[in-house]
Amino acid sequence: MKPDVSLDFKFTSSIEQVWHALTDSDTLAKWIWNNDFQPIVGHKFQFRAEPNEWWDGIVDCEVLEIEEPHKLSYTWTSAGETTTVTWTLTQTAEGTTQLHLDQGGFSEETKARQGAIEGAKYAWMNMSSQLEKVLA
Amino acid sequence: MSNKHQERDVYVAIADPTRRQLLNLLAKADELPLHELTAQFEMGRTAVSKHLTILKDAGLVIARKEGRETRYRLNAAPLKEIQDWVSIYEGFWKERISKLHLLLEEKK
Repeated sequence: MKPDVSLDFKFTSSIEQVWHALTDSDTLAKWIWNNDFQPIVGHKFQFRAEPNEWWDGIVDCEVLEIEEPHKLSYTWTSAGETTTVTWTLTQTAEGTTQLHLDQGGFSEETKARQGAIEGAKYAWMNMSSQLEKVLA
Repeated sequence: MSNKHQERDVYVAIADPTRRQLLNLLAKADELPLHELTAQFEMGRTAVSKHLTILKDAGLVIARKEGRETRYRLNAAPLKEIQDWVSIYEGFWKERISKLHLLLEEKK
């Protein structure tokens, strides 16, 4: 059993471009949600999705680590569950960029159970609304 | 956890370090009797037995009577619920990243 989300991605863009997409508030809004992110350690911010029947649409975050352009980490609190999201960027010899994502710190306690239900609902709600847009 | 329903929850069952340790011990053996499990902990037979009951209620261990002793073995299947839950987040991030891919391609 591996309790954390751990994913690897590869981009043909430069490490600077990927870093920009991860740390520029307007760009972040285009692929995650509207936000008031600032690349400052200790900065508290929110991602604000469309609220729905099950979820208020708010993710509370706090910047934990900034190491331009290699590492970015923030807390991710939503539906009563606090996790940590960490992005690691590596430039390859060919000028492409490897992006690694870790989401860890899922609690195993009672609130995780609630988080499980809420987390599942909001993820599915979000995916279905994205699908609607794609199909429209 | 006072009520029975919550005790059956797999997340509650693995929330306690003693119970996780019990699962680890059972994962390494086919089947273990209570006295052998108790020997691994600084607590009495009754306390260990109580933890085993919670694991049993969550479907994580299966108990079998052999003469006077009860023997326990692991049933890992309910742990899949936790794995499934985490993979929902995985799906969420994969979808976000595919949007990021498109975004970076557009900027070229």
